[in-house]
Amino acid sequence: MAESNPVVRLTNVARTYRAGRLEVPAVRGVSLAIPARRFTTVIGPSGSGKTTLLNLMGCLDRPTGGSVEIAGQDIGLLPDKLLSDFRAHTIGFIFQAFSLIPVLSAYENVEYPLLLTGMSATARRRATLDILEAVGLTGQQSQRPNELSGGQKQRVAIARALVKQPALVLADEPTANLDTVTGATIIALMRRMQTEAHTTFVFSTHDPQLIGHADEVYAIRDGILVDHKSEATP
Amino acid sequence: MCNAARRAFSGVLLALLFTASAAAESAQDIVAGADRVRNPDKPWHVTVTTTAYTSGKPTDRNVFSVYAKIDPATRQFRDIVLYVDPPRDAGKMVLFRGTTLWFYDPASKDSIRIPPQEMIAGQASAGDLLVENLAVDYTATLLGDETIDDAERKTRDCWHLELKAANEAATYNRVEYWVEKTSHDPIKAKFFSDSGRQLKTLYYRKFAPSLDGIRPMQAIIIDAVDPTLVTTLDFSGGDYRDIPDFWFQRDYLPHVKAE
Amino acid sequence: MMLRIAFRNILRNARRSTMTVLAIAVGVIALLVFGAYAQYDLYLLQTTAVERSGHLQVSRAGALDFGSGNPAIWGMGDHQAVMQLIAGDPVLAPMTAVLTPVQFLDGVAEYPPNKLSRTFFAAGYVPADLSRLKRWDEYGARDPNMSTRGLDPSDSSSGIMGLGFARLLGLCRRLHLRCQDPPANSPIHESAADISSLPSQDFSGLAETAVPAAGHGARATTIDLLSATASGAPNIVSMKIGRVEPQGSKEMDENYLQLNLAQAQQLVYGRGTHKVSAIILQLHRSEDTATGLARLKALIRQHRLPLEAHDYYEINSYYGQTEGFFNAVFSFIAVIMGVIVLFTVSNAMSMSVVERTDEIGTVRALGVRRGGIRRQFLLEGILIGLLGATLGVALAFAVTGLINISGMTWLPPGDINPIPLKLYLVGAPGLIVSVWAALIVAAALAALLPANRAARLPIVDALRHV
Repeated sequence: MAESNPVVRLTNVARTYRAGRLEVPAVRGVSLAIPARRFTTVIGPSGSGKTTLLNLMGCLDRPTGGSVEIAGQDIGLLPDKLLSDFRAHTIGFIFQAFSLIPVLSAYENVEYPLLLTGMSATARRRATLDILEAVGLTGQQSQRPNELSGGQKQRVAIARALVKQPALVLADEPTANLDTVTGATIIALMRRMQTEAHTTFVFSTHDPQLIGHADEVYAIRDGILVDHKSEATP
Repeated sequence: MCNAARRAFSGVLLALLFTASAAAESAQDIVAGADRVRNPDKPWHVTVTTTAYTSGKPTDRNVFSVYAKIDPATRQFRDIVLYVDPPRDAGKMVLFRGTTLWFYDPASKDSIRIPPQEMIAGQASAGDLLVENLAVDYTATLLGDETIDDAERKTRDCWHLELKAANEAATYNRVEYWVEKTSHDPIKAKFFSDSGRQLKTLYYRKFAPSLDGIRPMQAIIIDAVDPTLVTTLDFSGGDYRDIPDFWFQRDYLPHVKAE
Repeated sequence: MMLRIAFRNILRNARRSTMTVLAIAVGVIALLVFGAYAQYDLYLLQTTAVERSGHLQVSRAGALDFGSGNPAIWGMGDHQAVMQLIAGDPVLAPMTAVLTPVQFLDGVAEYPPNKLSRTFFAAGYVPADLSRLKRWDEYGARDPNMSTRGLDPSDSSSGIMGLGFARLLGLCRRLHLRCQDPPANSPIHESAADISSLPSQDFSGLAETAVPAAGHGARATTIDLLSATASGAPNIVSMKIGRVEPQGSKEMDENYLQLNLAQAQQLVYGRGTHKVSAIILQLHRSEDTATGLARLKALIRQHRLPLEAHDYYEINSYYGQTEGFFNAVFSFIAVIMGVIVLFTVSNAMSMSVVERTDEIGTVRALGVRRGGIRRQFLLEGILIGLLGATLGVALAFAVTGLINISGMTWLPPGDINPIPLKLYLVGAPGLIVSVWAALIVAAALAALLPANRAARLPIVDALRHV
């Protein structure tokens, strides 16, 4: 069943960086529409612009050309403050290097995004504990990131990304820093979470396992889309 | 009446007359008389040599030329004292006018007023006794008769008077004064401060003819606070001068020259 | 949460945080200890001034400007009436501890037996009042070397002199004092005239007056005080040396006498009307000074009296100048400490920002606004300031407390006897709070620049920074 309203819609998006007097076009005229609840992957060699593409989708960066529409919102219209708020409510992130706040415990790291949504303390507690249980880290909730293994840290990151039930979750090479076995576990978890939470996952990767699981695959090279494969929805 | 009785009677009469005339002279008159012995009434000039002694040994000597003239308004003297010797001080001048004292220095060609407070210590206040007319600023009371020794250890038959300051211009609060009867020579004086302490003892001696009178040629001032300090003032070369009034002004001092 | 993060980040880099906190604490300690010292010295000066001449003085109009050196002319007439007016005033009476007349004078003092003399300045007091004046001690800062005893009320000729005064008059041996008399052969006045040829004279017998010269025979030692009255008449009184005691500063100790008021008046006014130089009021508390002064001036105006009133501040310019001096030094130290704190905190925060660049990126990605980032780092700066300042205050109390009980002594400028060193921190809440707050503000300001930089980091660049 196809969704008529894509969660991500890029229309002729371009992003050019200026390095001194050099202009480096990282993304050149990319257009795509990602339907909701799709486990989507973006693949491409390093330097292909996939990280830039993900940044643009995540509203972490503004395009130098074209428009970016997330969950129906044209982010070009939003000033920085509102853009931050938008991210807080709508987008979750999972980073390659986990990027957990070192001074906070697992519980606190997961709870953190909820503080930006104005949820009550009781509701926050409920949501945090639920998601920790879902990723299987209830026992480790008081531990700090430096006390957790790579896999555990990524679970925390996943929990953090999902705790606020965002419309879109972006992951930049989420298994790159994990061994194969752990990576497989994480992929399975992400797949399951995506289904249970009914959110859209978009991630970039080299990992063939991840590619294998994907519903949509976009290939990018030198800043432009070169291929798009789509799995039928079961 | 027989001759002897008549002579005795006239003798008694004469004696009575004398005593009566003596009694008729008031204490104030006696003091005025002593003043006249000390100072002539016309403007005059005299050379004063002061010698300071400590325990009898001479420690300092100054020679001054003094010009004095009565101020008819106050009936007190105004004086200009010119320093003559030692040469270091020659040319300096002091002008006394009532209670005001001006000091002129030829080196700086400037004169300054010395307030009374600056003069209290030491021998500097010898000058205030020089030519003061005691009868003007003091009220005299006759205490009685007294025979005392003068500075030459000769006995003198004196009136003993007490002088009290009559106004603010009087330097001393009280003076004890011995004036010889008949001659009205001032023999001895003691000067007392406002607090009652004696400050100085003064003797006059060496009476000799000068400026139409028999006047003391020497004054001896003994510091009552420290009696080892004695100053003698010797007067010489006294003569009358025509001193104009404008001399006794601070601005004229540079033009006064020793003669 | 922000506070939690801020606090934990401070603890995370313990060494750097400790250095920064200590730097701030040192700044606070320096300012508080110096402030306490300055306050103590000012209390000392104030106490000395108030003990000697009270808080307020009423004198003849113009006396403050022109009366010095001419006490006889600038005396205040009818002082009893003025004193009664003040004593009956509902505003002044309750605040006044001592109300007494005083006579200032100067002259030459002599001790004839050894022919030594020196100039002096003096104040004449009512004997019982002098003792009460000397007891004033609102701050507990009075010099313990100075006695509280007054003049002998039974003998109007009894006076008090300083140790230096006695020494300069060669009275050490005679009065059994712990000092050295001047050498016997003092230089004699050199005559400019040629006196070598003059004969000695014998004046014995002429000075037969048995003047009870000062010093001889009397059981108590006396000195002669010479001065001139307003009219220029030389005057002299005998002061009995009732007591010799240190007078605080060298200048006072060598030149100052305290006399009985009656004797002082006798010397200054002589045969004229006896007046006084001033009426002084010593208050229970110094803080009433301004009110008291205003009331005095109002009374003077109301009764159209030819008088003027001043407080101890106006009379003792030294006090005001010292206060100004301390303020200047304090400000100088504050500026230096502020600059050091600024540099230290700014440096620490900058390093923190650089180290947490990816964290900043992450948190911004999660949805934290720029302002949130700025606030987070500013909070950490304030927290460090708070920790440092509070630690500084606690340590300052410890330092001043230690010094106060250590029994250390010091010699204030101009004094001759060492006095215990006391630092007045406990009674100076204003000083403590303002220094504490100021350094926290400095820390906050120092954190502002790095916080702004953190806030303005582009998210993408921050995330790339691993």
